[in-house]
Amino acid sequence: MSLPGFESGIIIDEQQIQKHIITIPIGSEWRIEIPFKSFFKFKVISGIAEINGTELPNNTELQLSGTKLAIYSPKTSQIGYFLVDNKDSIYDNGDNEFSEYLSNETNMSSIINLSMFIESRRQLNKSGPRILIVGGKFSGKSSLAKILSSYSLKLNNSPILVNLNPRDGVFSLPGSLTATPISDSFDIEAFNGYGLTTTTGTSRQNPKQPIVKNYGFTNYKDNLDLYKYQVSRLAVSVLSRLENDPSVNKSGIIIDTPPINNLKNKDDVSLIETIITDFQIDIVVVIGNEKLTLDLKNKFKHKKDSINIIKINKSQGCVELSDRFIRMAQEQSIKEYFHGTYKNRLSPFKIDIDLEGLKLYKFVLTKDFLSTMSFLPAGDEETENTNNEENILDKYYQILEDPSSSNLENSLITITHLEATNNSPGKDLLDTSVLGFVHISKVDDEKKKIKVLLPFPGVFPKNNYLISTNIGYSE
Amino acid sequence: MSNDLIRQYETKLNQLTFNSRPIIDELTIVAKDNPIIADQIVDLIKNRIYKAVPDQKLFILYLLDSICKTVGNPYNIFIADEVYDLYTHVFQFLNDTLRNKMVNLLNTWKEMKTISNDPLFPEEELAKIEEFIKKAGYPKNIIPEAQQLLINDITQIIPIFENKIKTNPTPKLQERYTALGQLKTMLSNQVITPAELAAVQNHLHNIKQQELRNSNTPTPAATPAPTPAQVTQPPIQVQVAQVVEPQRQASLPPKPQSRPQTNSGPPSLPPVPQIPKINIAIGLFNDLLLSGLVKKDQEPIPGSKPTYSLVFPETKYSPMSNNEEVSISQLEDILLASSGVARSEYEKLKFGEILTISKKTKTNDQLQQFINSNKPSSSMINLLYEDKPKKCPTCGKRFTDDTDGLTKHRLHFDWHFRINKKISTKGGNIQSRNWYLDDYDWVHFKDENLLEFSTTETIMATPEVEMNVTQPGSQYVVVPPNDTNMINRCVICREQVKATYNDEVGEWCWLDCIRVPGEPKNSRKIVHISCFNESNKKRSAETELNTNVKREKL
Ligand SMILES: [Zn+2]
Ligand SMILES: [Zn+2]
Repeated sequence: MSLPGFESGIIIDEQQIQKHIITIPIGSEWRIEIPFKSFFKFKVISGIAEINGTELPNNTELQLSGTKLAIYSPKTSQIGYFLVDNKDSIYDNGDNEFSEYLSNETNMSSIINLSMFIESRRQLNKSGPRILIVGGKFSGKSSLAKILSSYSLKLNNSPILVNLNPRDGVFSLPGSLTATPISDSFDIEAFNGYGLTTTTGTSRQNPKQPIVKNYGFTNYKDNLDLYKYQVSRLAVSVLSRLENDPSVNKSGIIIDTPPINNLKNKDDVSLIETIITDFQIDIVVVIGNEKLTLDLKNKFKHKKDSINIIKINKSQGCVELSDRFIRMAQEQSIKEYFHGTYKNRLSPFKIDIDLEGLKLYKFVLTKDFLSTMSFLPAGDEETENTNNEENILDKYYQILEDPSSSNLENSLITITHLEATNNSPGKDLLDTSVLGFVHISKVDDEKKKIKVLLPFPGVFPKNNYLISTNIGYSE
Repeated sequence: MSNDLIRQYETKLNQLTFNSRPIIDELTIVAKDNPIIADQIVDLIKNRIYKAVPDQKLFILYLLDSICKTVGNPYNIFIADEVYDLYTHVFQFLNDTLRNKMVNLLNTWKEMKTISNDPLFPEEELAKIEEFIKKAGYPKNIIPEAQQLLINDITQIIPIFENKIKTNPTPKLQERYTALGQLKTMLSNQVITPAELAAVQNHLHNIKQQELRNSNTPTPAATPAPTPAQVTQPPIQVQVAQVVEPQRQASLPPKPQSRPQTNSGPPSLPPVPQIPKINIAIGLFNDLLLSGLVKKDQEPIPGSKPTYSLVFPETKYSPMSNNEEVSISQLEDILLASSGVARSEYEKLKFGEILTISKKTKTNDQLQQFINSNKPSSSMINLLYEDKPKKCPTCGKRFTDDTDGLTKHRLHFDWHFRINKKISTKGGNIQSRNWYLDDYDWVHFKDENLLEFSTTETIMATPEVEMNVTQPGSQYVVVPPNDTNMINRCVICREQVKATYNDEVGEWCWLDCIRVPGEPKNSRKIVHISCFNESNKKRSAETELNTNVKREKL
């Protein structure tokens, strides 16, 4: 007999799950790589197991795909699992095979220590600690940010998780910078292990509510000026939120960043300085890089009383990701933006609209901008002065000339909150935030019509400024 | 005939989605005129209470209350066996303010007699309810969060003073200490205005700053240049003069009748005027004004409203300053003392751990050492797991096993139940991703609205089926009472909607719009009726499409 309201809708195949059982000893990690072409179905049979600080339920079937991660056991756990083919997977070539191994060499003790130190700082100060995580490529920054957020949540806090790495979409798409209060657990089954934002209906997990800033590229170096501008704008919103929200203020901020290996590059130095100043950072956590730690300590000597610089060892479990894997992961998170997760399906909506009349801009690649500048005839600085407002925008966003299938098809468009006027939007376009994203699947150059995928059914907000991103995607 | 009546009654009952006197009166009269179908009416109401979304349950209970009080027999008799269940069911979904209202409701039930002079409900049932609310700790004093933080702050400062008085008792310290105690009592017992709150906050901050500094540099010569905290010193004394009295009475609240006995000091001392509690705040506030910490701007017109602003001290309190040693040992005191005060078991355990940790992480080197090589103790690890022993089997979330934790656990469990039920209903959960908020809305957003403990339960609410097509014309959304921003936006097309004054209802309204289904009553989220209908048409078309696709696959 089944109780109404308790049918999960997911049938657990008891025999299947008993096929493989692994015991993860206390303090150990089980590191697994799951290809995109398979679903890894598993459940915790006994003990306590967690993924990036989010505790897994016992005896509930879970599913993962296209990811490399570790399941950690704070108390010895047993996990039953099996793999099934993902028939919808479009990634047949270049995908990995399933692999797994156990390891008792983890940096979890240090992370627990760090979490507890952070908690002690919450009690000491009126406002919670503002933590910046830095480190090289594939050093486990995002994992650390997730664990610190999850443990903070377990200790009755809701910190703001800030993602400044445009490679990943955190509660948003790649190419954006976000800040999100972590007021409930991450959805480890969602792609990248973050979860959904608010929907028009009911989801199985409480959604999150981020603020999303435009960047448009997946590498922060593609337009460093725009990137830094948006980092600062995001900081303004985050600090204002802290002022307005005592429970978030008490919990603090946890910031994930793009990879930085050393301070040789002056751009990287000024970027770290920008972040530290704008977010009023008081704890910097450096992952696994002695040199970077020393450089930072040197650089911020004058602030040693107000900033703690802490080094934490890199986990042995960090793996390098191929560009192809990263690309597949980005596509997967775009898919999730429109279609949701397997437990929370979302319905996007396709609509045909006129290309005419849309206020379309594009993100500017700094190197393109510089090359056009060098072709300018001498003496052109004068026009620069006369048309200041528009020129301020030039190195960040430019009007998309001749929108057509060649520059729009299969691309993602950012819809901003800013409503279009007859004048140039100027700085307002830089200062606005993202309303949402749409995908253009088809451009009819003759009829001047485009086929657009909207996250939800309704009227296309055609009066708002749109910015065409450099992120391609095909449905 | 009576079937029709029942149906009508049900329809009207479903409209009781807000606290509407007219609807309650109308439904009471119908109940009064039709005692023959009393059992069916009672069933309807009972079901509606259980089925209604949490923030509407109370209104239906009010209806029941109205019927029982004005009609009595047979309604109160029919309901007698279930009055406890109904009451406790509604109670658990409400916030503290509404729960207090329910306590008042219970009090009227205890006093009320029916027309036939019988008790409204059986005494033993009411006693059961009373025990229930007592256990839950109601009625509660509702202190705003900011004020609560302030109280916590004072609780932290008090032990510092206690310590200092022990080592170096000066009258000034005594006075300040007593003043703090008074301030705390006052804050715990009444709600003060935001301006007063801000002033007190700043004032406290300075006391804290100065005390920490002083304790590091005991000689007056080494005291840093005058800080605003010192500027406020004389006013504190003015205020303290008012509270000397209670201090002598071993911190009892001032009572007029006991004053002559204790006030046996020198006759030259004028009798201290009796000051009602609120005056301490006003007194302190005035002191702050005098000290220049709070600036007051007022039009030179009698009766005009003054505006207050804070003048920030030039040197800010920084716990990381050179006197690290001192602040750490004081932190210890603070934590020890505050761990004894009205905190949950879990918070106490956490404080114990943090205390040990703060000792081990005094310097940067110690901190790095601690991060690298401390072996987390089991009591430290338990904070993340076993100290919250109730683990949800569906999602893994943990809860403590004290009253608060158990209540949350139950609400959480109910929430899973509702969602599963909804999702298992065919086509019951077609949903899409919302737009993101803009900066202003995000800055003012409260994440509680996303959680299962939210008493408004807005996110959960589902648009009723009959709402699918809404007629334009007479539809409007009244601008929420505390809202000053008349300009709003349709959530679908993002077009601006300006409020206009509606003479008929005497309110500012956004015309041709409805509030987004499921949003709470004071929400600003509105949608054009045309956009809403359009979107629904498309959605149902899409649903059909989806089911077709499914069928093909099967
Ligand atoms: Zn749960
Ligand atoms: Zn509209």
